[in-house]
Amino acid sequence: MNYPVWQLDTFGGGLLVILIAVFHVYISHFAVGGGLFLVLAERKAHRENNPDLLAYVRRHTRFFLLITMVAGSMSGVGIWFIISLLNPAATSILIHTFVFAWAAEWVFFLIEIVALFLYYYSFGQMDHRRHQLIGWIYFGAAWMSLFLINGIIGFMLTPGDWLRDASFWSGFFNPSFWPSLFFRTFFALIIAGLFGLVTATWIKDAELRTATIRFCARWLLIPFIFFIASAAWYRAALPADLQEVIFTRMPSMRLFIDGFFLFSPILVLGGLFLAIRLPAALGKSLAILLLLIGQLYMGCFEFIREGGRRPYIIRDYMYSTSILKSDADHLQSTGLLPTAKWVRHREITEANTLDAGRELYNLLCLSCHAVGGPMRDIKRLAASYSPSGLDAMLSGIDIFHPAMPPFTGTAGERKALALYIASGLNGKSDPLPVQLVQKTVEIQKFDPETAQFVLLAWSPLGMQYVAEVKGLLSLLPPGNALRAQLIQRGETPEIVNQGVSLRYRVENGLSGDNGKSALTGTMMPDEDLFKAEGIPLRPVSKQGFDPYPVVTVEARDAHDTLLATTQVVAPVSTEMGCSNCHGGSLHPAAPVGLQRETAMNILQAHDRLSHTKLVATAQSGQAIRCQSCHADPIYQAKGDKDRLNLSAAMHGFHANYLRDRGADACFFCHPASRTGATRALRDIHDAAGLDCTNCHGAIEDHALNLLQHEQLAGKKQAAMLMAHLRPKAAANIEKIAPRKPWINQPDCLHCHVEYQPPETDTTANTWTKDEQDLYRNRTDESGRLFCAACHSSPHALYPADNPYNPHLDVLQPLQYQRDRLPLGANRNCAVCHTVAMTDEMHHPHTLRAFRNE
Amino acid sequence: MDPAALIPTPDAIPVHWGWFQLFLSLTFFLHILLMNVMVGTAFIALVSHVRDDSASFSCTETISRTLPFTIAFTVNFGVAPLLFAQVLYGHLMYASSILMAVFWLSIVGLLFGTYSLAYVYTYRYAQLGNRRFLVIGLITMLLLAIAFIFVNNLTLMQEPTHWSRYFDQPQGRLLNLADPMLLPRYLHFMVSAVAVGGLAIALFFYWQGDKNAPAAQHWIASGCRWFSYATLVNFAIGLWFLTALPKGLLTASNTTSQLLLLSLGSGILFALAAVVFGGARRVIPALSCTLATIALMIAARSLLRTALLAPWFSVAQLPLTPAYPPLFFFLFFLTAGLALIVWMVRFTLRSRRDREVRP
Repeated sequence: MNYPVWQLDTFGGGLLVILIAVFHVYISHFAVGGGLFLVLAERKAHRENNPDLLAYVRRHTRFFLLITMVAGSMSGVGIWFIISLLNPAATSILIHTFVFAWAAEWVFFLIEIVALFLYYYSFGQMDHRRHQLIGWIYFGAAWMSLFLINGIIGFMLTPGDWLRDASFWSGFFNPSFWPSLFFRTFFALIIAGLFGLVTATWIKDAELRTATIRFCARWLLIPFIFFIASAAWYRAALPADLQEVIFTRMPSMRLFIDGFFLFSPILVLGGLFLAIRLPAALGKSLAILLLLIGQLYMGCFEFIREGGRRPYIIRDYMYSTSILKSDADHLQSTGLLPTAKWVRHREITEANTLDAGRELYNLLCLSCHAVGGPMRDIKRLAASYSPSGLDAMLSGIDIFHPAMPPFTGTAGERKALALYIASGLNGKSDPLPVQLVQKTVEIQKFDPETAQFVLLAWSPLGMQYVAEVKGLLSLLPPGNALRAQLIQRGETPEIVNQGVSLRYRVENGLSGDNGKSALTGTMMPDEDLFKAEGIPLRPVSKQGFDPYPVVTVEARDAHDTLLATTQVVAPVSTEMGCSNCHGGSLHPAAPVGLQRETAMNILQAHDRLSHTKLVATAQSGQAIRCQSCHADPIYQAKGDKDRLNLSAAMHGFHANYLRDRGADACFFCHPASRTGATRALRDIHDAAGLDCTNCHGAIEDHALNLLQHEQLAGKKQAAMLMAHLRPKAAANIEKIAPRKPWINQPDCLHCHVEYQPPETDTTANTWTKDEQDLYRNRTDESGRLFCAACHSSPHALYPADNPYNPHLDVLQPLQYQRDRLPLGANRNCAVCHTVAMTDEMHHPHTLRAFRNE
Repeated sequence: MDPAALIPTPDAIPVHWGWFQLFLSLTFFLHILLMNVMVGTAFIALVSHVRDDSASFSCTETISRTLPFTIAFTVNFGVAPLLFAQVLYGHLMYASSILMAVFWLSIVGLLFGTYSLAYVYTYRYAQLGNRRFLVIGLITMLLLAIAFIFVNNLTLMQEPTHWSRYFDQPQGRLLNLADPMLLPRYLHFMVSAVAVGGLAIALFFYWQGDKNAPAAQHWIASGCRWFSYATLVNFAIGLWFLTALPKGLLTASNTTSQLLLLSLGSGILFALAAVVFGGARRVIPALSCTLATIALMIAARSLLRTALLAPWFSVAQLPLTPAYPPLFFFLFFLTAGLALIVWMVRFTLRSRRDREVRP
């Protein structure tokens, strides 16, 4: 933010610092441990009066000098250069806080150089005890330089009390200082052994070679138990939340933790094996191999230490993006582009969005993510996201990904960044507005003079969502429901529920789930109702995508005489926005719906975040049904009683990515987008300017209501999902009313008190008491005529305006009344009663002019 | 774009800036001396190989043995001033480093190559035969490249008005070639290296063994010639450097420019004296005057930096959050460390002598 960013692409994400640093750390630990090795080896040579061994020690000293002086010190300078290039802000903090620790370290470097030169060049030229003293001084200085850098490095991971008191001593002698010092010291001895083994296996004389190899192997093996003990101590010294993050919540750490545990016994066994008298060539190869493994071993430790610190460069103080933790909140309102110094585009416009996005990428992402390179390549990681999907992901990414910082910029900046990555880099775009091909439909005939019956049919749900990939994943299986009531006309109409049979027939060309056309069936009587359930509809017709198949219902008597016929839409859609984030390309033939690739990505995400094995299960041939673990009342699925119910899990999780988006949050997944292929919210409320959130609440509230119920039922997972959601419909979480999905839903009468014009335009946080009070299950005051019979399905209440044909959702009003209004509106009681009525029977305030023509 | 808006905000310092200025000047002085010896002797060795390889054996062979040491100590004594410079000017240096990141980072590789080749030069001196000039030539070129990159960075650091070029080239491939001070400054340092290299050769043969032997005399004279001629050339380059300075800088209107003129003036005087002594082959007086010249020129350089940065920044502006105990610990380690080094060297030399005496 303060500094210019070195714009890298392939080499981004910290690749350069990794290459330089992991190499340097290996050599520098050798420089420490090797110092002690030389002195003790020399002492052994003198004690045994072994001039050949002494000659080996001298050769090894030259090897040591060349490697540590050239490779070690140059790469050390290299680290310094690269950290100030890649994170100058953090480097500046370290330099300004610990300058005198580094200055002291420099003094010890100077002592090391002088001592090492003296030690090597005076080899054999002075009394050996005096010579060894020089060697001891070298080792002491080397260990002191380790002591000093250890404090600075440890500070970055566990700053401890420095966060409070900004004291040099608190920062230097931080919580992980001592375990880390022991850990590194023992590591240095082990590495000295590894390097020693290389030079030892090169000794020509077999006797000396074996003896020296065994000496070096002791350096590898004896410190090992202490090394592992210090590793355990090091881990225990980390704050509990940091331990949890590193060892359980960062999947990327697994590889390096496993590597550390794998290489440990390999090194030990390798050392033991080398101690056996091996042929020279085999010994050399094995020693080199162990040396390389040692480098990887060091790499594993470094990756764990550095990776575990994410998203911070100085834990709890400064993010890897060089932004202070204390600045994160205000940057979200003031914006990063206006605040950062080295920025060309202070304001985002249509013309500069991608360029501003690149600048944001440089500031916020490049420190960890390469563009097309090996380090957490952003193109690969963001491959499945559309621009809107990525924007959603970024808005909640730190909640479930502990390695990620919160987004430190405005919503507009986040959008620009998402556009740059998803569109600019990956060429993806948001779904385009869909051009709908209009349907044709004929209105059924009805003669009010002669007709004896009025047949009313409706779908209990305004939209049946289907989200399923056969044989792989079933989130919402197909299965439309249909209801009907047959009314015998007369001054006192009768609901006919005996002696008649009702059959339904889906229009031609619509395929069922079994691929067969022309679904037909019988509707079963249930008291005053006729029901059909589980009609396996999919929104695919010969014309393409069709979410509003027309169903013809016929009522016949016992002699099979046609009594009445009507038509109704059985709404079904597969338009679910999973692919916005979970990827998967859409076929031209199936422009919406869950694709195989999308389903696999979903299962992978579920495995990663919830520690399940769904991908393996699916690949073994067993399809995953979400309701087998997550309870769902609409499918009578009991699920696993310890897990969240499906609606709570889905909304609870995804709401964290969709905060502050109003109804757009709903459109991400549900088929109600006004530019989509379904446009499911198509009724009088939609025409009046209401949207999903008026009745169902913003997604934050929607999720909190469901989670509140689950939390009260004792499910601990709910708390974590609720933690970042701020309620909009209530002042605080305590005031959020719990609800069961599909059972506690918006109650029309909350707004339409006493069936009057609405007193408010929101039902958020208030629900039906139980299933009986649901609109779809309610009846009029007679207890027999269903509300939906006259008013139609939820989300398609008369007068509804279907996007595929204005008649489609008002087929029965047009048939029976030649208007688009609820049955009997505008005092048109004659539809069923054949004459005008003066008594308000069905519900109060029916006898008046319809308000919303 | 207003350059001031680009200047990063510096972090607070733990002790008064004077301490850092003192440490910076001292360690930089030693670094420059060592760097001069390193680059100068490498260059002189190259020229010697090319001119008359066999005749220059005793000099070039000596240089091949000492080069790994001079490199090691030059680098080590480069670490300290870089550290203290980052405390005082870090916010400016990081910015300029990033603007030329590719070049700046390449120094690590170039240095690695230089150091490795130096060991090849010394360990394979005999086997290389008349191909030695290739190795030392490569070393010299690498050193010259490293120095060039350093000068680019440190001049760019002083000129925030050039920084907005970043927006057209954010990939770290900028240099400061358009600065009229760049080339004369660079050459001034490099020619000074040749001079000091020559002086170092003269001193080496003056101090070791029998300085009156003809071979020694030959090299003392040769070293003094390198020293004197290079210094004379450097007067001209220095003049060029002066004319390349921004107008109005040397007006003696404020303390900084007054001190700058003073140190520059006295530095030139000492340099003149050094040339005279060099011509007369009076090595020790030449050395004293050279050390004085270099010290004064380093002071002038620091004052020039202060003057150039004056519109944008002054070290007195740095916020101070006092924390003196770490300074005292460092001073303790420094004193004890230097004493230990002196003791170690003497101890070793003594022990070697004792070993020679006792069979």
